[in-house]
Amino acid sequence: MDPLDFPALRMAWLNLQRNRLRTGLATLGIVIGVVAIAAIGITGTALQYGATQELGGLSNTVTVFPGEENEDGAITDSQVASIERVATGAVVVPRRTETLTVASRSERRQVTVQAMSRPAALYDAAEGTIPSPMRSGALLNAELAAELGVELGQTVSIGGRSYRIIAILDEPGGFGQGVSVVVPLDDIDGDGYDQVTVVAEDGEDAQRLAAEIPAELNQREEVVGTFTPADIQETVSGFFATLNAALLGVGSISLVVAGVSILNVMLMSVVERRAEIGVFRAVGIRRREVMRMIVAEAALLGVVGGAVGVVLSILIGYTVNGQLNGQPGLVFQPRNLEFLALGFGFAVVASTVSGLYPAWKASTANPVEVLRG
Amino acid sequence: MTGRDSGAAADADPATTRHPVAELDDVTKEYRSGGETIAALANVDFAVEPGEMVAVIGPSGSGKSTLLNVLGLLDVPTSGTVRLDGDDVTDYDDEARTMARRRTIGFVFQSFHLVPMLTAVENVLVPTMFVQGDQTPRARALLERMGLGDRLDHRPDQLSGGQRQRVAIARALVNEPRLLLADEPTGNLDRDTGRRILEEFERISTEAEVGVVAVTHDELVTEFTDRTVELVDGVIQ
Repeated sequence: MDPLDFPALRMAWLNLQRNRLRTGLATLGIVIGVVAIAAIGITGTALQYGATQELGGLSNTVTVFPGEENEDGAITDSQVASIERVATGAVVVPRRTETLTVASRSERRQVTVQAMSRPAALYDAAEGTIPSPMRSGALLNAELAAELGVELGQTVSIGGRSYRIIAILDEPGGFGQGVSVVVPLDDIDGDGYDQVTVVAEDGEDAQRLAAEIPAELNQREEVVGTFTPADIQETVSGFFATLNAALLGVGSISLVVAGVSILNVMLMSVVERRAEIGVFRAVGIRRREVMRMIVAEAALLGVVGGAVGVVLSILIGYTVNGQLNGQPGLVFQPRNLEFLALGFGFAVVASTVSGLYPAWKASTANPVEVLRG
Repeated sequence: MTGRDSGAAADADPATTRHPVAELDDVTKEYRSGGETIAALANVDFAVEPGEMVAVIGPSGSGKSTLLNVLGLLDVPTSGTVRLDGDDVTDYDDEARTMARRRTIGFVFQSFHLVPMLTAVENVLVPTMFVQGDQTPRARALLERMGLGDRLDHRPDQLSGGQRQRVAIARALVNEPRLLLADEPTGNLDRDTGRRILEEFERISTEAEVGVVAVTHDELVTEFTDRTVELVDGVIQ
């Protein structure tokens, strides 16, 4: 056994055990700091993941609607043809909307009804199948079907006409892009269309089309406008990035505070050990060796506090991801590992830096002064 | 103020190869205190030969501790020359003085100053902490020779005062110093224990050819030393 193989580290370890309460409290500060950084970062990732999942299915669509200077208040067939020309390869779905009464035997609701020939391009069926093109029948979202008390294959009345429910949609009802009822395009009368939905490759492609379609169609007047959830998604991502940066800032401040408390603890401990450090210097331990011992002590606080903080953050992240997204394992995605590494790294750096001044003070103390009395 | 007569300090005889282990040549140490300058040491000439044991006595504030600190390279003189093993170390910087202490000097203090959470062996090893090579066998041997063979893994709070001082002496000897400096080594010990500690010093000085300087109030110490120097107001009497 050679206990002094790593003398600075071993002395540091023993010194930390002298006053366990004080060491524990200083470590607690670091733990809180690491949790503040890592757990907040992980929670942010979980929230963003949840929000992105909500938008995910629609973020590659572009909605084209009549512009402010469109005299007809509708999109014409020739404009749809132009859109198809611009959006080569993309699925273009013209649609009409009208607010109608939807009724079952027991319930009735006023809802916005969508009419289109190719709903399969936009929606997924939870039950039944969506024919393409759709010429008869109706699609209901699960929420509305439940409210009306109807099931797949049953009949509902929409605007006074009877429809068989050929599919139940797996779609959220709200948030602008949601859908309650879909009927075949020709079942709602009108010149032109209220909206055209373009399904692009991905969000980036959607954003490109959202810019190119008006550029092509609005030669003299603003006849069409566009909207894409990809913009929202970008905004949401930006929002979360800002939020995370702000929270990480707060977390960092708490680690700086923890660093200050380590500075304080180390200074106290160095003052208490003045005589001992004086003896070290007298028996031939060099200044830098004394510094190394004290800095190792502070760094060790950071390593221990950081490790505990990382474990706690993983536990918190595991719970949060389980609750928010139902996938606790998401805590281990690369971005979260970055947060954990950041928290741990910051803890060690803040502690080590905090140890420098006490170490310098200890190492430069005059052993004569120190040994007197 | 040009007292540069070389009369008293001419014991560096070129005919003999034996240097004094440590030598002060016309050393003055002044402290500034509230605008006043106090001379803790005034033109002191002092030398310790290998194997010699010297007691330095004198009233409190006579400059005994300052003498020990200057000899031990813990303090630098205001003027004069300090030699260690024949080398002029007066102008050494902190690093060089520390290394000279590590190589040549062992310290024993009145209040032992052991590290509380280290065992006896580990305390003895403190001066070798940052030195290559395992000195554990030597540390154990030193403690065994001091009669502490059954206390090797005890911590200071499990040892008596005399045992602690013997651990401190072993610590002072672990680097095989040429000079052992003791500040009131018996100050915290009863008379019998003090006597045993002094016998230890005597043995070290004769067996290992170590120069020993003990600063003390205790006249018991002077019974064991080869020579006693009295210091009054920073001047050797």
